[in-house]
Amino acid sequence: MRAPKFLLAVPAWAWLTAFFILPVATVVYFSFGYKPGLFGTHATDVLSLDRYREALSPTFFTTFVNTLRIGILGTLICLLIGIPMAYWMAVKVSPRWRTLLLALVIVPFWTNFLVRTIGWQVILAPEGWLSGLLQSIGLRDAPLAILYTRPAVLLGVVYNYLPLMILPLFVAFDRVGPALREASKDLGADRLRTFLRVTLPMARPGMIAGILLVFIPLMGDYITAVVLGGARGNMVGQLVASQFQAAQNWALGSAMAVLLIVVIAGAVLAGGLLAWLVSWPVRHRTRLGLADLENIAVQERA
Amino acid sequence: MTGRISLTDVLLRVWGVLVFAFLFLPIAVIIVYSFNEGRLLVSFTEFGTTPFRAIVERPAIRSAVMVSIQTGAIAAVISTVLGTLAGVAMARRPGKWVVVFVGLLLLVSVTPEIVDAVALLPWLVLLGQDAGMPIFDNGVVRLVIGHSLFATAVVSYIVRARLVGLDAQLEEASADLYATPLRTFRRITLPLAMPAVLAGGLLAFTLSLDNTIISAFVQVSGTTPWPVYVLSALRSGLRPEIAAVSTLMLLLTLVSLTLVWLVLRRAGDSSTQIAKTMTGN
Repeated sequence: MRAPKFLLAVPAWAWLTAFFILPVATVVYFSFGYKPGLFGTHATDVLSLDRYREALSPTFFTTFVNTLRIGILGTLICLLIGIPMAYWMAVKVSPRWRTLLLALVIVPFWTNFLVRTIGWQVILAPEGWLSGLLQSIGLRDAPLAILYTRPAVLLGVVYNYLPLMILPLFVAFDRVGPALREASKDLGADRLRTFLRVTLPMARPGMIAGILLVFIPLMGDYITAVVLGGARGNMVGQLVASQFQAAQNWALGSAMAVLLIVVIAGAVLAGGLLAWLVSWPVRHRTRLGLADLENIAVQERA
Repeated sequence: MTGRISLTDVLLRVWGVLVFAFLFLPIAVIIVYSFNEGRLLVSFTEFGTTPFRAIVERPAIRSAVMVSIQTGAIAAVISTVLGTLAGVAMARRPGKWVVVFVGLLLLVSVTPEIVDAVALLPWLVLLGQDAGMPIFDNGVVRLVIGHSLFATAVVSYIVRARLVGLDAQLEEASADLYATPLRTFRRITLPLAMPAVLAGGLLAFTLSLDNTIISAFVQVSGTTPWPVYVLSALRSGLRPEIAAVSTLMLLLTLVSLTLVWLVLRRAGDSSTQIAKTMTGN
């Protein structure tokens, strides 16, 4: 008798079930419970949706809206910074330098997240060097007052997630290759037209990957908000953490955690739907994909 | 692109340089400020190496770094073993189950870390205290479990991607020559997958060194890993030692990233493939 096909995956499966599926399921279960008295953290003898109502009350609702705003804005800024950057690296830079530049994007990404963010705290601090510099050259007459504000959090998330946007975009631009751009040029398109009509549409998988890689972790981020936003840069992540740590209200914290996942999934779906609707008129124009070209090449060789 | 350089090219190059400056600015600041003789991190007084001496002199810092390295090593081994087996199974025994399993791995990778963290805390308390399994009260065990989840998914992806790109003929030949499945796995499949296994293991180690959120929730006092030490120092005031240790940890990360790069290079990956591997997709 042959062993089942998934035999080798069983250990990983079991491990992830024991320490991911079951704990997360417990959180979902807790979210229907309540906090019994001052010293209890959670109780589930009476189940209700009350915690969700509480989590969506005006007090916490603004935080959800704020998180969503920072998430969308941060992702868009990353995309706007990342497209020219990745295009430059994949198309303009000579292959010899490309490896080095890629390494230079990867290094900050793998540098400790918290430490990088603290680096920004040092830069933005009112008593820090940037503040002193700006004052001494006369650009500001008071110390820098950006630390512990929302713009600081936005700057921090853009900084922290930018490599996750650049790398998939780079891979996508790299895959397009010079042949199609040359073909477009030969057919009379100018450079801007070639970029907008050939290169950019072909890089769409990279853009989608980049947007997801940035948006999803950004929405759950709480380190950046703690380090650069203080009490005022509140994100849902902080809210969840404080319910579990300071407030010891696991039921409410669980409901917020579940809502966070729902909001992320909902935003991704809504974004996908929007992109689909917007591209509706474009999609009905005939366009060759890379796969088609490869197929043609294979047929010709045969 | 010979001869004349167009305005667009110049602008793109300027843009590229600016983005790199942006990416490295805070890292450079941390490195410079690790030589700060002042009492507080943010105000640089004079240049010196006192912060680095504090690493040796302050037992709390030393212990935090040791906990991080120890946890990183164990978490790397566990996620590499689990992820390698799973990756081999996905590449060599495809079927409907792979769809379900990839779904699980995706779920693990997209779930916000804060959710993992708040889910693991009550769960480990439940296992350790209510279910009477004291091993789950051990600080290092808890950290290793927390760090191994995402890392297992990453190693699975990397190993699978490598083996899918290689033909299964060698394994079939080995089976035709009457090697047992275990022998084929050890002598053929594993060596083929080895670059991905090593790269995955080193990435898992780096991920563990980096992990802050899950660690902050599951840690028990006495086994505080380095990032959590930094997080708590954030509340009590940051001192230059934090930057000094961070600089050393950065070196450690750089060494392990260079190793990953060399391993994948030797295995014949292009730099684009390496970049893809290193972002976990």
